[in-house]
Amino acid sequence: MTLERLDAQSVARRAAAEIAPGSVVAVSGAWAVAAADLVPEEKGVWFLRAGGTLSDLPINAADAGAALRGGHVDLSILTAAQVDSHGSFAGYHAADYPGPQGHAGLVDLASGARRVIAALPHIREDGTPNVVSALSFPQDGARCVDTIITDVAVFRVADDGLILTEVAPGWSAEEVRAITGAPVSVSPNLRDMDFDLPPGRPPSKVYADGPGAIADLPDGATVFIDGFGGPGGMAHYLLVSLRDRGSRNLTIVSNTAGIARVVSFGTPPGRTAIDHSVLVENGQVAKAIASFPVSPSVSRPSEFELAYRRGEVDLELVPQGTLAERLRAGGAGIEAFYTPTGAGTLIAEGKESRVIDGREYILEHGLRADFALIRAHQADTRGNLVYRGTSRNFNAVMAPAARVTVVEVDEIVQPGELDPEAVVTPGIFVQRIVRRPDGFTGYE
Amino acid sequence: MAFSKLYDSAQAAVADIPDGATILVGGVSGVNAPEGLLSALADRGVRDLTCVCDSNYYGAEALHRLVSAGCVSRIISPAPFTGRSDDPVHELWRAGTMTVDVVPWGTLAERMRSAGAGIGGVFLPVGIGTRFAEGRETRMVNGVECVFEAPLRGDFALIRAACADGVGNLAYEGPQRGWNSAVVSAARVAIAEVDQVVEPGGIDPELVITPGIFVNRIVQSSSVPVG
Repeated sequence: MTLERLDAQSVARRAAAEIAPGSVVAVSGAWAVAAADLVPEEKGVWFLRAGGTLSDLPINAADAGAALRGGHVDLSILTAAQVDSHGSFAGYHAADYPGPQGHAGLVDLASGARRVIAALPHIREDGTPNVVSALSFPQDGARCVDTIITDVAVFRVADDGLILTEVAPGWSAEEVRAITGAPVSVSPNLRDMDFDLPPGRPPSKVYADGPGAIADLPDGATVFIDGFGGPGGMAHYLLVSLRDRGSRNLTIVSNTAGIARVVSFGTPPGRTAIDHSVLVENGQVAKAIASFPVSPSVSRPSEFELAYRRGEVDLELVPQGTLAERLRAGGAGIEAFYTPTGAGTLIAEGKESRVIDGREYILEHGLRADFALIRAHQADTRGNLVYRGTSRNFNAVMAPAARVTVVEVDEIVQPGELDPEAVVTPGIFVQRIVRRPDGFTGYE
Repeated sequence: MAFSKLYDSAQAAVADIPDGATILVGGVSGVNAPEGLLSALADRGVRDLTCVCDSNYYGAEALHRLVSAGCVSRIISPAPFTGRSDDPVHELWRAGTMTVDVVPWGTLAERMRSAGAGIGGVFLPVGIGTRFAEGRETRMVNGVECVFEAPLRGDFALIRAACADGVGNLAYEGPQRGWNSAVVSAARVAIAEVDQVVEPGGIDPELVITPGIFVNRIVQSSSVPVG
């Protein structure tokens, strides 16, 4: 008697059972895409698809690759052709794609996600196993798969080989082992395959107030602060909340180190603009990484300048475009890059330089932070952001580069209410949302 | 002079693409490819093009036509072969008249973005331990093993968009944006085939994905977008 293998839909259901509510999942290949289709919308899962969408948002290829490399994808599910006992995999049968390199469609999915699941038929039509000791097809990812789901079994990839954890209904461990091309140890907790989706809904990203949204911002944190120069487009309410919380020894990364107060465009008489100065004068800042850290007016120095002259704070000066590019790199999994900006100047001191096509470049590294405090016009409850005018400034590159991005918005709407074409920052880069209180102006 | 970027036809817009040019083509898996521009190029019979594109699978009939007409001698793509028996790329490759470079898609997009952004190259943790890192410059950066990826420039970019205003600002629809942002920035001359042309100011600024500074030529499309 021949045992029945599961149909594609059942394998997809088993793969879908790995998808946690609210998680970010990259899918490629028929079985993986079928798994995505089984997850109901209320689970709040984000699906990154090779066709250029992130759930219902469009995403360009550079940003999709960046999301993967940058560590923003919790799980990649890929339809593989072959997996070995170390978790290396091949994406296609060598016979199907010619040439020494074939195709590279799955390489990105394997290179950045926190977890990788390979879904594949256990054996080919001629009975050859697809789960093997060593790949015979071109390798698309090295030691990256941690779970293998086939039409007869589920394996966990451990340091010393494959552990059989689940079998399809009716199958025994021995029957699975007999058609597997690699040594298999059997989990003491071996069970029948579980096809149930994980229970629950994603936790809400909406916080009641600013202090609550940054209540765990620790001493010594690195914090991105948005804004360009003037008082517009800054997360004033969050800045004041951070002052009230009093976290100390902060490294702030921002275009300026607080000059809105001294440039004062449009400040009502008798009031003061809220900017980084509220943290500096409160003794919370140890260092700024900024491109325009001083006041444009010698006679009206900023709080940061005064603190710098007193020797209380450190400064790392970064050209403005380089700052933006370092932020993007930090969020996009670009560990380092060469830029011509600053070559041959003080900025280049201590940095590697390299001549590329006759031009001198210097090596710069990505910037990451513990928290980002940014401002947007609208957010939906998933964290998708729409900006208004120039207030998007550094936000789009800061949000992906921080572990916790907190956004202060004028309005919070329901999912589906924002025009997807107008969403600049997808919710996968936003962890917390706070509405700016009515009447809060950015001046005090 | 507001509409000086607007060309009368796809033929006129691609008239000066020379033999040996590198063209960067938008669209994902053949969907949202600039069919009119590619067809016009195939009709001209240019030779020896290097074509940078996403997989030529499925719907990109004009791309197939360009290849089948013998216009292309090199393809740089994540998936240049269709995997089907009637694949013209496979035939030409086997005959030795086609060079094929396979590059992971995120890396390919980033290489074009680098070219467009004046970056001299990036260190990416992609493809380590695979044939895509073999023989390449690698280095540990911040404890992560990375491959050095050089910028990839093009002479012409050919893309499809939903809407352009006369100065070349572009808005897309859904997955149409695909490779376009990277592609247009990396080319010396970017040509957009669009469904609709409006007056400057006719597109909500918050919806402009590609600013007009990256776009040199606009052609009103005569075809229905695929996808």
